[in-house]
Amino acid sequence: MKPRLIGLFLVAAITIALARFAPSVRTQTRPGAQPENPTAPASPKPQVEVGGSAPHMSDGHPDLSGVWWGGSDIGAARGRGARGGGRGGARGGTPPATFMSLYKPEAAAKAKTLGDKDDPTLRCVPTAFGTLNVSLWDVGAVGQIVATPKMVVMLTETYHGFRLIPTDGRPHRDDQPPVYRGDSVGRWDRDVFVVDTKNFSDNTWMSAEGRVSPHSDQLHIVERYRRVDANTLEIEATVEDPEVLTGPWTVPKQTLVLAPFDRILSLNCSGIETQALMDAAAKQTGK
Amino acid sequence: MRPAIRTALVWSLVSVAATATAWAHHSFAAAFDMNKPVTVQGTIVQVRLENPHSWFFLDVKDASGKVERWAFEAGTPSGMVRNGFKPGVIKKGVEVTIKGFHAKDPTQNVGMLRELVMADGTVYGMFGSQQGPSAQ
Repeated sequence: MKPRLIGLFLVAAITIALARFAPSVRTQTRPGAQPENPTAPASPKPQVEVGGSAPHMSDGHPDLSGVWWGGSDIGAARGRGARGGGRGGARGGTPPATFMSLYKPEAAAKAKTLGDKDDPTLRCVPTAFGTLNVSLWDVGAVGQIVATPKMVVMLTETYHGFRLIPTDGRPHRDDQPPVYRGDSVGRWDRDVFVVDTKNFSDNTWMSAEGRVSPHSDQLHIVERYRRVDANTLEIEATVEDPEVLTGPWTVPKQTLVLAPFDRILSLNCSGIETQALMDAAAKQTGK
Repeated sequence: MRPAIRTALVWSLVSVAATATAWAHHSFAAAFDMNKPVTVQGTIVQVRLENPHSWFFLDVKDASGKVERWAFEAGTPSGMVRNGFKPGVIKKGVEVTIKGFHAKDPTQNVGMLRELVMADGTVYGMFGSQQGPSAQ
């Protein structure tokens, strides 16, 4: 065999060998994982295997813990949010109904009168659901889940929001006044974590599909969380509001990925300048 | 600059702003005039990496020596921080040049930050330096 052919053969063999064994080399770290502060001791990173199976809690249920995002932050080079729209609830080629299309006439009329300047998030008021159809994120594009066998805690970064979700089958609490984000209880349906949320106040927004969108205090949201594998979380949800919708809205399935850091930031919110800016712009444009 | 190129540039910036709108808490296009670019050079007075959007305040001196306070709105702090815009990177007293778009209200010294240029030439965008884990 000529030396050149031998060289080509060796290169091909090494390439195949690297491809074959590469997964076993990178099983302990996430791609792109890096310390939040290179000068500080590295924080414990999620010990997950790339492409591995979902971790489980001590009670055998999938462990949903982690920081979940769509792959990047808002405005980042790859900022795309969660992958959504995989299944909108409709089949056979019919486009899934949008939230706004389900409005009753009175709600649709009200929605038309509202614009960006009316968005409560400008005043640091959270949404009832999420601006990107992901309740875990509320406003923004990242959220954290801290799961235990008895309680699942969902934390949002943008407005210090949290949800405490008991998993022991207890009913909704009766001592909780209506609130922006509602009262949640959870249960396991095999490997799916089902969250039932109601008791919303009616003075904020759904922000469904990224639009400012009113709802009533009859809002009822059921979410289904499934950790598909170590790095992937799928969320499906159904939204009902008999006061303003003609029927339930099936939220397009959202697919989130595990972020390469293990804690969200703690950030202030003060919408003073932003609200003033929007009010001034509204006066200029008459909207 | 040739008119065609200028038009294309403006539309590309409008497109960027529209993209940002899809992720933002309010429409940048609703608050700012994308046909009215503005560039100011001044001294940083305050940086607020806060929600819903970050703000940069600076004092700008005109030719007569009169000082005016300007405010520029930028992106959400979470992405900015993870993209390399660490707190303290831009401190009070630092000289910067900010390029952006003027608010629709012409009476306000307010703009949307498109680019912040440090004295050493370092450039930050609306959502940070794009060098952090978010940008990967």
